[in-house]
Amino acid sequence: MTWFALRTRAALGLAPTMVPVSLYVPLGFVLGPRVLNVLSYDVLAHLDGVVSVALATLGVFVGIALARQARTSGRLIAAASIESAMTIVVVTSAIVVLLLQWQVPISGEPGLIALVLGTAAAASSAGAAEAGVALSDRLALTVADLDDLVPILVGAIALSLAADGARSGLGIALAQTAGIGIVIGLIGWLLFERASGPGDRAVYVLGTLAMLGGAAAYVKYSPMLTGLVAGAVWRLAPSRADEIIGADLRKFHHPLLVLLLIDAGAQIGPYAEAIWLFAPFVVFRLTGKIVGGWAAARLAPELAADALGAYLFPPGVIGLAVALNFQQIEATSGAVIVSAVAAGAVAFELIATLAAQRPERTA
Amino acid sequence: MPSTAALLLAVLLAWALGRIAPAGASVRVAALALGFALVAAALAGTLLEKLRLPRVTGYLLFGMLCGPYLANIITRPMARELQIINGLAVTLIAFIAGLEMNLERLAPRFRAMLRLGGTTMALMYVALFVLFWITWPWLGIAPALTGVQRFAVAALLTTLVASFSPTVTIALIAESRAAGPLSELTLAVVVFADLLLILVFTVTMQGVRTAFGGEAEVGLLMSVMWEIFGSFAFGAAAGALFAMYLKFIGREVPLALIAFCATVTAAGDALHLEPLLSALAAGLVVENIAPPRGDSLKLAVEHGALPVLVIFFAAAGASLQIDALATIGGVAVAVSLARMLFIWSGARLGIRAAGLGPGPSQMVWMGLVSQAGVTLGLTLIVAAEYPAWGVQIQTLMVSLIALHQLIGPVLFRAALARAGEIGGMNQGVNPNPESLITNP
Repeated sequence: MTWFALRTRAALGLAPTMVPVSLYVPLGFVLGPRVLNVLSYDVLAHLDGVVSVALATLGVFVGIALARQARTSGRLIAAASIESAMTIVVVTSAIVVLLLQWQVPISGEPGLIALVLGTAAAASSAGAAEAGVALSDRLALTVADLDDLVPILVGAIALSLAADGARSGLGIALAQTAGIGIVIGLIGWLLFERASGPGDRAVYVLGTLAMLGGAAAYVKYSPMLTGLVAGAVWRLAPSRADEIIGADLRKFHHPLLVLLLIDAGAQIGPYAEAIWLFAPFVVFRLTGKIVGGWAAARLAPELAADALGAYLFPPGVIGLAVALNFQQIEATSGAVIVSAVAAGAVAFELIATLAAQRPERTA
Repeated sequence: MPSTAALLLAVLLAWALGRIAPAGASVRVAALALGFALVAAALAGTLLEKLRLPRVTGYLLFGMLCGPYLANIITRPMARELQIINGLAVTLIAFIAGLEMNLERLAPRFRAMLRLGGTTMALMYVALFVLFWITWPWLGIAPALTGVQRFAVAALLTTLVASFSPTVTIALIAESRAAGPLSELTLAVVVFADLLLILVFTVTMQGVRTAFGGEAEVGLLMSVMWEIFGSFAFGAAAGALFAMYLKFIGREVPLALIAFCATVTAAGDALHLEPLLSALAAGLVVENIAPPRGDSLKLAVEHGALPVLVIFFAAAGASLQIDALATIGGVAVAVSLARMLFIWSGARLGIRAAGLGPGPSQMVWMGLVSQAGVTLGLTLIVAAEYPAWGVQIQTLMVSLIALHQLIGPVLFRAALARAGEIGGMNQGVNPNPESLITNP
């Protein structure tokens, strides 16, 4: 009941940290070009820039959160990273084997498609679950919060490979992505505290976020990684930059996340390949999360593997963001991946709902 | 120093991105153009403010210097993407102007404002027309025209040159948070002149069509009426809905404000309305009929307006065609000087006719120099319909707009500063009508 109440509050925008995937993704599909055509292909093309900014904003949140926890919860970050890395390995290797064995007629490199699906599967949404009172529950929630680092890094690698890996070399591409994040992070750091009023500050915050998303999109790099690096710079730099941007972001991060989900829903199409990929994605993500949870619990014994699994099942917005970002670069296979991941995200949220309701009934 | 460092970093980053961008990157440039323009133009505005110049001029200069006609850091595709925000910006600016117009406060001065505006405009129209008629062979616009045709084209040119820019005036008032008699008087005159411009342009275009043997469009007057009255009616209805939203929901006001302005802009395009008038009417309704409680709208305007203004003026700067000014710079400077002289003398005569005494009203002419988007839009209509001589008019007008965009805000800010009205909104200054009107 509590969970349902929280969901309702989130749907009404009263709990901005929670964004119900199962509400906004289907809404996006209905509004999209295949049903009502309110979000036509033309409108979606215009939204492309806003999506890049939203992706960078997500990265900023993750960067600030990780940098904040880095000093005190290094072991939990390591556990969370191992959990998401295991999920990536499980989902990617299983799907690549299936794609090659069954010779699915999908356009694009099978290894790359599997890697993107694996990366999208790795993120979890801590906000979708309700924190328990036990220590293991709270730690599990923290792990679910911190497991976005590896998906963002691997997503950036996949994106560089898709954009044109041979252009400058993978290492250089990643270094340039991080460099963009550092430079824009420095610009924000120089400006945020010196703004003469709320209007000026809004200009600087919006401007730096648009630069983070826009610069990465312009050179076909990952906006989430530029955002993550900038977020870390703002947190680690000796100033209140992270608090300032955090306060301003709170005002519009919920609309941006809703926009991402609606955009993902609008991109869903009746692709045979997406229907084919949906089942393996769901099954192997479940497997990956269980294996990943187990591995994380081995590294940090205070984590209870069963509690961890329950918190890791809900899908993360980051997963959808990875798929959407890939689709910006690789339109054809990207549309298939977004469709599979979006449908999978709705399915996982329903699974998470059932998992969350069962203890309440017994109680 | 930190601002300069940040500006340098932003410019360097934009330059470096241009070097590492893959082929075809220009199609995904919108967010970068917006971000770069926001940060760098805002910083340029701040730097100019330290020199006691308007921020708006900083945004314009930044756009001009970094734009495709000079440094090309803002490339042509970037400049095109920045233009997307224009419609939204004009609507938001006009809405803010409506919010600043309290009819109860303005009512005692309404007649004086009309007299001032009417006299100024009348003198400008007459003087500019006579000037153009006499100097026609040297203007470089179809010098062979004679008789009725020359009369009609000179009248059309007069209409365009005599126009003001409500957008720049309102933006400058909003950006400098100015409040007081000079702000209100200037605002009233430019809005009045804008209404007059739409009417007179329609009539003169009909005259040109008749003079050049074409058929006057019978429905055009009706469409102008629709544009004016329909815009006001639509804006009033939209404003009432927005006031209800503020009263009964009142959440996410900055986002709601942007969405409201986007809706008014889109509806204006679809229904052939004038978004500037619609938004002005909406602001008037919200301010005068259903004023919101609390500061939510004020804060939303403060948060929402500045980013839009920065982008709008940076885009305007990037699109300033410096090459046009270089082509006919001499004629443009001469026409610009004559225009300023007629504005000054017209305003002086208007002040006397309106019975306004000494004080801030003497500086109202300094707020009337700017020219911008509306004039450019009308010029494009002329050039499209009469390419033979319309293109020369377009070149002259583009040059004049470039000049007046740079000079106008500087003059108006100086006037506002001298009148002590800058920052008046922050101090809750309630303009005292007695300081403006000396007659009963």
